[in-house]
Amino acid sequence: MKVDEAKCVGCGRCVSYCTMGAIGFVKDPYGRVCADVNQDECVDCGVCFRADICTGKALFEPAPVWPRSVRGTFSNPLIEHKETRVPGRGTEEMKTNDVTGRFKTGEAGMAIEMGRPGTGAFFRDIEKVAMAIASLGEIHFEPKNPITTLMVDQNSGKMNPELMNEKVLSAIIEMTVPLERVQEIIGAVKEVTREISTVCSFDLTCKVHPGDETPAFDLAGEAGVASTPNGKTNVGLGRPFFVEEATR
Amino acid sequence: MSHTLHRRGTLESLKNDYVVFAMSAKGVNEVASSAKMKRFLEIVNRFGPVNLGDMRTGNRYITTEQEIVDKTRDTSIVHGVFDNRESLIQALKALKDEDMGISVIVSGLLGDVRECCREAGLKRHTCETSLGIWGKTERLPDEDILRFTTMCGHGQVPFNLIKKMIAEVKEGRLTVREAAEEMAKPCQCGVFNPKRAEAMLEEILCLWGIRVA
Repeated sequence: MKVDEAKCVGCGRCVSYCTMGAIGFVKDPYGRVCADVNQDECVDCGVCFRADICTGKALFEPAPVWPRSVRGTFSNPLIEHKETRVPGRGTEEMKTNDVTGRFKTGEAGMAIEMGRPGTGAFFRDIEKVAMAIASLGEIHFEPKNPITTLMVDQNSGKMNPELMNEKVLSAIIEMTVPLERVQEIIGAVKEVTREISTVCSFDLTCKVHPGDETPAFDLAGEAGVASTPNGKTNVGLGRPFFVEEATR
Repeated sequence: MSHTLHRRGTLESLKNDYVVFAMSAKGVNEVASSAKMKRFLEIVNRFGPVNLGDMRTGNRYITTEQEIVDKTRDTSIVHGVFDNRESLIQALKALKDEDMGISVIVSGLLGDVRECCREAGLKRHTCETSLGIWGKTERLPDEDILRFTTMCGHGQVPFNLIKKMIAEVKEGRLTVREAAEEMAKPCQCGVFNPKRAEAMLEEILCLWGIRVA
């Protein structure tokens, strides 16, 4: 997002609508105070523009150019990723699991939402976490996730180097693992998140197992990580388009 | 894309906060699903949701309910928010009876939602939980602010907007309800619960000064 200095009246109404706190003030060549967007910190989420609060209609978004274009596709939920056709940052994950059978009995879905909540993440931090997880070996990042498509090497988790200085509101590193690897992934995330300059939110998905159990959540608890009492429940109204293999 | 996960707050404040939403699986049961999305919204709307929305069209506080319904597409993700469990149970029963075959997801306290499913005659298929926030948590604002902003999982409700709304109410320029509805506007999907925001604002107003840092 940018500000047309000729139109800005310096009212500051946009400041509260910046998700990254990236709007400040500068003086133009004539000494007039005018809003200014820090281009390194702005993630092109479009919230300030959509709020329609700019007195002088001075906010504008230049046409996206690679690699900066990833900022908008990850940060503005109105923009659909070409790869997934899902607007936002991730995939359908557990939301359509009753239809797709993506997460099966004996498996867990794990996702690290880099930059969430409200802090944003540079790709250099996203790569750091992805590489730490990949280093465990035999990690299969979710192929439909846009972050996976931006990796130059999915075995190592290395991202496209052109993206390192790009910042997004949030981006999700997503994978499906056998239940026996849940604690190993938690351990790796615990270690690497000590070295990042932002925050991340950690998701854990589990198909409801026989006996109405969610063993992945128990495994997290045994690893010393309490899951929150609230979460998402797929209520099973979707008509299945898959046949589940025999229970592991 | 777990846009309704990671809502933060005390157990008390997370009670009576239910998001129910529907979507088709791309490339699987997507074709001609927009009619089902419309039907979903119509059903949910019968039970008095406090918010309603579709990511692309917007929420009840920035557009009309009719426009939200009319503009659904096969790729839409359609949402409703309830502030009481009875409405959720009734909506789930109606959705079960409709038997549309598309996925329906409920966000809320997992144990409570399990009971609501049981009362509606449904069996949970898959659950997702949050393992919390990791990394440089010292960069985050006060938990009071996070309780509001995390109601929009796409991060479209800025920390600064919450601080601004607190100040606006304290200075008498907005009512609590107006401030809560202004907070709900940027959450395009309509999963922000303005009733919960009202209650939380009432609770914290006395704790915050006019100059909110």
